Amino acid sequence: MNKKIALVFIFISAILSSQAQNSDQENDWLGELKGGVRIQKTQKLYNENGLTFDFTSPKMVNNRLHFGLSYVSTRLGSAIGSNAIKQDNFLLGIGYYFRDQKKLQPFTRVNMGYFRADYESAIFDALDNDAFLFSIDVGLSYDFKAPFSASLSTGYNINSGDGLEGPGTLHPVFYQLSIYYTIFK
Amino acid sequence: MKTKHIFFGLLLAIPLFMSSCGKEPVIDNETMLDGDRIFDPSLYNPEAYLVSAAIANPSEIQKNTPVVISVHGYSASTFEWDEFRAYADVNANILISQVLLGGHGRTYEEFRSSTWEDWQEPIMAEYNALRGKGYTNINFAGSSTACPLVMNLIKNGEIGENGMKNIFLIDPIVISSDKLLSLAGLVGPMLGFIESSNSPSEEGHWYRFRPQETLRQLSNLINITRKDLQQGFKLPTGTKMKVYKSTQDSSADPISAVLIYKGLKNSDGSNIEIEMIDSKIHVVTRLEGREEVTQADRQIQTSVFNDIIKLLEK
Repeated sequence: MNKKIALVFIFISAILSSQAQNSDQENDWLGELKGGVRIQKTQKLYNENGLTFDFTSPKMVNNRLHFGLSYVSTRLGSAIGSNAIKQDNFLLGIGYYFRDQKKLQPFTRVNMGYFRADYESAIFDALDNDAFLFSIDVGLSYDFKAPFSASLSTGYNINSGDGLEGPGTLHPVFYQLSIYYTIFK
Repeated sequence: MKTKHIFFGLLLAIPLFMSSCGKEPVIDNETMLDGDRIFDPSLYNPEAYLVSAAIANPSEIQKNTPVVISVHGYSASTFEWDEFRAYADVNANILISQVLLGGHGRTYEEFRSSTWEDWQEPIMAEYNALRGKGYTNINFAGSSTACPLVMNLIKNGEIGENGMKNIFLIDPIVISSDKLLSLAGLVGPMLGFIESSNSPSEEGHWYRFRPQETLRQLSNLINITRKDLQQGFKLPTGTKMKVYKSTQDSSADPISAVLIYKGLKNSDGSNIEIEMIDSKIHVVTRLEGREEVTQADRQIQTSVFNDIIKLLEK
């Protein structure tokens, strides 16, 4: 599973990088690609950490629309050296950033993706262990001295588990800190 | 948004927040356990519920007979284990102590002011009383919130080696099905309390109104238990555990069984026993008072009772 995830990120990064190497005329749509780490804490549950990428372009509402791709997992958080359930979140997000020329930018984001948990025993095969993810989050992004930036947000998962269906460790409220490195601008 | 707009927004929100705090439920004293007329019967007549109170001087035979400390869940009362007592009276040679959790079975106010440590205290009181009287075959059967309470006692070493022979957990709660319970500390003061939908038969045995203070206590208890399981701990030597868990449960998320399986091991490091049950009922061993009970539900209840008795008499 981890190899597949790494391959997806490498593939996407390679496409974006190859686009960046094209001629100047073709590059006018290119804005900024940032990659970094994400630290996520679910309210009264796990730490799920991982990787995140953020892309924006002057052609997309003048750099205000951001596309994001992220992967966070307890495998890189609470499940390290503990009995926490190993679970993965794959997310695509579309965010709208206000005050695009300023260092401090409030933003709001809609995220969709896929959640999967590993219960590690056939005893629990009857329980749901995956789900479609749909969440919204709001937060603040801050551009530090280039090439670093960070964002802090709080979000809400619409379709958390309710005991009758859905994975039980998919909780509604989460907090995220993302630290980015600008890959190109 | 301009600063003054935020300021005026807060001016509106704060009084709204304050006005919603401290709401009081409308309690019907004649029908509701929450009131000041109906109390759990074990408070009037402990001899009928507690082995320690019923038998002043146990014989050697009684001391070696399996005693089950049976404990109900959050907002419930001893009623939750009445059916097990009735079944065991006919089908088994065991003794049963039906323990009332602290803060439960009394008034809404007493419930509201209780902590989860208060809820836990009568379990240890009965356990210590039984050990004091020389009982050698003490067991535990708990439903829902009774399960994190006993797991907390195990984690803290309150139940030592050979203290209990068997521990049976029925639909244990470690993760709530209602995920908003994790926000009890934040939104609780705005709500004041949550009203549950008891059937008419359940009304005198379950609190209808769940004060936000107790929801926060419940949230804290299960959060501590979840963290303990995440860290991992073992049962004392000489103690076995079996978990019975519905695969669909609108109160205690079935994932709770996974967390217990991963986090709590037998003293030799082996896995505890788990039985996932194809049911949508929370606490499959209690059917009385429910509005809809199927033949399948009755079969599951009998099967669990028989399994518990078989393991007790092993």
